[in-house]
Amino acid sequence: MSLAPNPKLPGLHLASTGSYPRIGDGSELQILRRATASLDRGERNTADLLDAEHEMTRLAIADQLSAGLEVITDGQIRWYDPISHIASKLANVKTAGLQRYFDTNFYFRQPVITGTPKRSDALVAKDFSFARNALGHLPTPKNLAGKLSIKPVLTGPYTLAKFSLSAHTGNGAVDPFSSLEARTLAYAEAIAAEIVALAQIGASFIQIDEPAIIKYPEDWKIFEKAVSQLTAARDKSAAEGRRTELALYAYFHDPAPLYEKFITLPVDIIGLDFTYNPKLADLVASIGSPKPLGLGLVDGRNTKLEDAGEIARQIERLLPKIQGGCAYINPSCGLEYLPRDRAFAKLQLLDKIRAVVGA
Amino acid sequence: MSREKLERLGLQLPLFPTTSVGSFPKPDYLVRARADFAKGKITAHQLRDLERKATAFWIETQENLGVDVLVDGEMSRGDMVAYFAERLPGFTEGGLVRAYGNRYYHKPIITGEVSWPGPVIVESWQFAQSLTKKPVKGMLTGAYTIMDWSFNEHYPDRRSTAMALAAVIRKEVEALIGAGCKIVQIDEPALSVRSEELPIALEAMERTTKDLDGYFITHACYGEFDHIYPGMLDLAVDNFDLEMSNSDLDLLEIFRRHPFTKDISFGVVDVHSHRMEALEAVRERVEKALTILPKEIIWIDPDCGLKTRTVEQAIEKLRLCVEAAKSFR
Repeated sequence: MSLAPNPKLPGLHLASTGSYPRIGDGSELQILRRATASLDRGERNTADLLDAEHEMTRLAIADQLSAGLEVITDGQIRWYDPISHIASKLANVKTAGLQRYFDTNFYFRQPVITGTPKRSDALVAKDFSFARNALGHLPTPKNLAGKLSIKPVLTGPYTLAKFSLSAHTGNGAVDPFSSLEARTLAYAEAIAAEIVALAQIGASFIQIDEPAIIKYPEDWKIFEKAVSQLTAARDKSAAEGRRTELALYAYFHDPAPLYEKFITLPVDIIGLDFTYNPKLADLVASIGSPKPLGLGLVDGRNTKLEDAGEIARQIERLLPKIQGGCAYINPSCGLEYLPRDRAFAKLQLLDKIRAVVGA
Repeated sequence: MSREKLERLGLQLPLFPTTSVGSFPKPDYLVRARADFAKGKITAHQLRDLERKATAFWIETQENLGVDVLVDGEMSRGDMVAYFAERLPGFTEGGLVRAYGNRYYHKPIITGEVSWPGPVIVESWQFAQSLTKKPVKGMLTGAYTIMDWSFNEHYPDRRSTAMALAAVIRKEVEALIGAGCKIVQIDEPALSVRSEELPIALEAMERTTKDLDGYFITHACYGEFDHIYPGMLDLAVDNFDLEMSNSDLDLLEIFRRHPFTKDISFGVVDVHSHRMEALEAVRERVEKALTILPKEIIWIDPDCGLKTRTVEQAIEKLRLCVEAAKSFR
């Protein structure tokens, strides 16, 4: 497959890929750590913790804004980890021991499904509302007026299911969640409900993170079914006049073997991690994309700052092959894996890259 | 079992030798002293005295329990990578990053050519060994894991980073062996995180231990070993120290499919839980191991380092290991 070059170059936007460090080296950036530790010791209450989360969220948004990003997240400051933060808010899911998160040296609490996972309350919708309000209270740089949006992030149903266990007790009854497909589709229903809720309160983009699918491509059919449930929720909202775009992001592995399948998914944007395969850019340049891409060319896992000119040259090569009117420059993954000063430098780099592309 | 190698090294170990993975909890006075040292309230000399006091406590404790191969308990170490990064030229301390929940650490950054500044842990190993006639393991972190758990701003790729670090770690291994250390443990907990990079990890360990006269152990945990097994058996060590209990002995199934060809330090107690296993439950784990592995290759130890447990819990977990091992001799 090879798509024709796009006669009109897409607009280039700067976007966050999700997380942002919730701690820095200065004392003022350690309020959340202190509040959490104090709460654990019983010296403070959950309201104190909430205050600290609010403040660190405001700071994460302020950093993104000052670096020139247009598509901003809340930094996922409140997330214990990408798996249990979502799964543990669902009814009939509890969490268990720590597991390593992909090839990072970061650990998540493994969900255990005890019954049908059900959305009984907002997963990230309240956080989205807070972030949008916080952004509204910051002075908007002139060049960004009318261009800013908050993008809520949800871990996708397949990745949640892949890292979940079933708590079936083995009492003779059939375990309804022993299969990956059953777990995935149950989570998909809950995530679909959250998409509807987010669309209802005005989220114009929603990022769905599915890093596990590029590590376990053999599960594509299950993954595809789950994506269909999510896009059906998006379409239902659109039919009711609440349009939102789904951005599917995959990282922490080489997406090249699945690239042609990714671009045929019915989502609106595909975000790819370019750091695992230096030839991925060649593949994208040769095949093209019928829809906007999130270009994860800036490494969100290493402190070394890339050369803006080199990345800009890659983007210039890709842009004519990207259809759908726009493309996004974003880090390869969330920036929580970097120290805060380096994470901010990576955000600033995005703007420098765009300036070179523009020049 | 590499019995011949151990005997050639002058080590007479019983069947089911007992050991531990490396770290023990620091006594409260040492935790306070480390905090005071960080604030400049006590000198490095004062801190070292307390580290030695704590080391002596753990050596005596292991001897009293009847452990066969001892460790110094890593009383002077915090993070297993940062400890070396703070001492090796070529590293810069990075800012804080999160490990999980509310736990953060300073992740090192490789900003220049890494080199060996002279012995790093030899003196602390010598001190621990001077307190006992039983063998004390020399404890190091492997090149692949140091590479994987550091940021890299200097080397062009991950392989060249790992090989540069392997050359440095090898010098420390040579210094340990030169000082009389016979059992060296080179931990590689990152071994399985990128299965496609197993050849890099194998090459790095080969460069670290090749032709050196010691008995080598590596510890690995939290891994997807089914992705790298049996290829991981080519790692240039004599003994794999593996977290078995935390995964309900799942690994035994893959050992059934392809024979395990090294010695194994078989984790029989879960270090992530304060709950104390019953001796019978620990014995059952060993019995299950014996359905697949020959008794001559099995060492007995906890799943992982015990530093996250209290001193009392750590001692009880070790006692369980020793009692279980003795019951099979």
